[in-house]
Amino acid sequence: MTISIWRYSHLTLAISSTLFIVLASITGIILAFEPISNKLNPYDIVNIDNVSVAETIDVLQKNYDEVITLDVDENGFVATNVFLENGENATFYINPKTGEKIGDILEKKPIFEFATSLHRSLFLKSTGRFIIGFVSFLLFLIAITGIILIAKRQGGFSKFFTKVIKENFNQYYHIVVGKYALIPILIITITGVYLSLEKFSLLPKDKSKHIEILSEAKNTDFNIFKTTKLSEVEKIEFPFSTDEEDYYYIKLADKEIAVHQITGQIISEKKDSFFTLGSYYSLLLHTGKGSFLWSLILLLACFAILFFIFSGFAMTLKRTQKKSKIKNKFTKDEAEFIILFGSETGSTLSFANSFYKALIAAKKTAFITDLNNFTSYKKAKNIIVFTATYGEGDAPINATKFIKKINTTNQHQSINFSVIAFGSKEYKHYCKFGMQVHASLLLQEKFKAVLPIHKVNNQSFIEFEQWVLAWSSLHNLDLNISKEDIKIPKEKEQIFTVLNKTKNNIDDTFLIELKPSRKTKFKSGDLLSITPKDETRNRLYSVAKINKTILLSVKRHEFGFCSNFLNNIDINDKLVASIQPNKNFHFPKKTQEVILIANGTGLAPFLGMMNTKKSKTKIHLFWGGRTKESLDIYKKQIDLSLKNKTLTSFYTAFSQAQKNKVYIQDVILSKPELIANTLKNGNHIMICGSLNMYKGVLKALNKITKEQLNSTVDKFIENNQIKSDCY
Amino acid sequence: MKLKKILLLIPAFLLVITALFSFKKYTETSPYKCMIQMRNYTGEGAYVVISLLNPKGEYEETLYVQGDDDEWYFDITEWWNFQGKKRADIDAITGATISGGERSISVIRIDNDKLDKGYKIRFETAVEDQDYHKDDVEFELTSENVKSKIEGKGFIRYVRMMPQ
Repeated sequence: MTISIWRYSHLTLAISSTLFIVLASITGIILAFEPISNKLNPYDIVNIDNVSVAETIDVLQKNYDEVITLDVDENGFVATNVFLENGENATFYINPKTGEKIGDILEKKPIFEFATSLHRSLFLKSTGRFIIGFVSFLLFLIAITGIILIAKRQGGFSKFFTKVIKENFNQYYHIVVGKYALIPILIITITGVYLSLEKFSLLPKDKSKHIEILSEAKNTDFNIFKTTKLSEVEKIEFPFSTDEEDYYYIKLADKEIAVHQITGQIISEKKDSFFTLGSYYSLLLHTGKGSFLWSLILLLACFAILFFIFSGFAMTLKRTQKKSKIKNKFTKDEAEFIILFGSETGSTLSFANSFYKALIAAKKTAFITDLNNFTSYKKAKNIIVFTATYGEGDAPINATKFIKKINTTNQHQSINFSVIAFGSKEYKHYCKFGMQVHASLLLQEKFKAVLPIHKVNNQSFIEFEQWVLAWSSLHNLDLNISKEDIKIPKEKEQIFTVLNKTKNNIDDTFLIELKPSRKTKFKSGDLLSITPKDETRNRLYSVAKINKTILLSVKRHEFGFCSNFLNNIDINDKLVASIQPNKNFHFPKKTQEVILIANGTGLAPFLGMMNTKKSKTKIHLFWGGRTKESLDIYKKQIDLSLKNKTLTSFYTAFSQAQKNKVYIQDVILSKPELIANTLKNGNHIMICGSLNMYKGVLKALNKITKEQLNSTVDKFIENNQIKSDCY
Repeated sequence: MKLKKILLLIPAFLLVITALFSFKKYTETSPYKCMIQMRNYTGEGAYVVISLLNPKGEYEETLYVQGDDDEWYFDITEWWNFQGKKRADIDAITGATISGGERSISVIRIDNDKLDKGYKIRFETAVEDQDYHKDDVEFELTSENVKSKIEGKGFIRYVRMMPQ
């Protein structure tokens, strides 16, 4: 429920202000170059941190007939307004050490003048200023709702900067860019609003006044000029006349002081009010004046805003397109099959819709609607729920009221139901909402489950088909689901050529080296998906990348369709497969030490990792096999890595080599310090191989972490220090 | 053929006359320092226009303009009636606006022969979306006044003048 409010406001705010935000961002991009181009002028030849006010005043009064003002701008350029010998009045930049003119005052370039006007008032004067100020406020709200949405999605503010799960380009970068651009955008909008409030006199009145200071001895003799550096000064007004009542006025960062022109005493000072300082810093932060780096950040933030608008609308468009596809042929009270869906991004809907179409094609009366529209259905015999899960196990946007409605809605007849839950195992709360729906329906007397809940990971069509098969055979139906109705990213299949293949070792295991036919980006740890001919189900192999070729290790099983298919293949044969990225099992980027643990064919991805890793990372390899001979096929690669020092140490366990079976977890237990130190220092452990080995290894690791680090192994799995790919 | 000669002379004569008059009468000008102290109002910086008025009270010359965004100039109504038609080049005598409570010192040049001749100096002020003061400060151009302090009626608290 709450999520929809935030998203709805995020979107509504964005739609209502897009045009102005685009305009302000584009002009903002242009304006970001103004401080940058000003800063590039060479008028800061002297470091004004080292020049005292007394020094500059002295040289100015020597060089010129009369000095009126001295200004120090954000760039550290010092300008003065003086009377020259010929009685002419002039303003120019000076060298504060010598008082000499070094350049004319910079004029605002016409392009910046134009952009400024457009940026702050759209050439509409006060009306425009109001609009821009208001839009700035809206953008502020958009940023705030954005922050809340990110926090909800990531599972709390504490996880704000944790990794974002990539679903598609627009969604992913909308969030990733959002996480980092939000801070500058918040600053831009707050300062923008502040400046607008100031323009419209909505800030409290500045009541600061000059307050007399009782003269102290040490304040005399222009001490203040000698001790104040030019860099602390914003402006100095020289005495208007020689009249003793006319003082020097020195504007410093937070106050103005009046100094007697003869005695050099500080006469009075005026402290800036809080709001004056606010205006000053708002202007600096909003314009980037005087700071190269901040201007650059502002520039990037403007680009980020434009990107948000683009990607945001692209997402919205996609979502509405997916939603508008529902067209019911029958009414809710005519239909025998009721399909209810809960979809956040619309992909679950495409599955539900394909199922609906298949039912209609099979001449059945079906009705499809949002879970939130749940009500009573007169002729319904079957209800099929398709639902995704959002964020921390929450309901998707159109399913938020469902569980409440189940309890309040009375059905006339008893109804069979089946729940199919969509989710991704990358999330902690995999399919959680689907399970809640299933459990809530089970509690109802009139509902009867025909199948246990069925989960579909990452929109897998195969997993979906398995359910369709089970469900339709229950109802004696022959359903044809069209794959084209379901918009899921297609795997990029291509042809691979077999470059090399080892002989089978003692365990019937062999290595195959494959060369992709196209230029393909992949890393060790990615998966090669092979679907043998006449088979619908694919097999996944964790691969190593060695010199742009793919290396995989296969164990032949007597009745294994795919392993036999690969076993029978010869050098130079071709096969069709696709590479699936498996980001969670890539070699960690920032790490000093990595422990790799594998058994059997699980060694394959590590062979590639050891081959390419950065020179400074220490790698320790633990491998478990049946016999010493089992290692033979891998020996060449491992010896090479040891020789190149890309592999630091290598430990083995051969379970069948001696009477008492020794497994790899037993070897791990003998190295508690290595394990504990690696985890303690934030380094990584990677595990690849059989599930049995994985369980054993985790047990061993848990023992070590409990004893040495006083913590369970789960903590390290959770924060991704322990990665695994087991099967 | 006397007539012809005369006819020929006429353009020559006219040329000499125009040539003579086109030499602008050379006038001495003197610089004056002029400090404007604003009242403590809130809001945008004020536009201030300093003009020279002739004895009949008509605009004669623009001496200084504080505020360089010309989209606001026509808010300074009286002056704009003059400047808007004449469009004199005022780029050289333009400065930034000054806000409430602030001071600014500018230098204006006034013809020496206008002194003590019944001419007047006028300070007009306007703030975006606030008031417009036609004669915030106005005083006669006398040798006495150009070294004095004159109180303002609108956004200006006072103006101080000082011959350089």
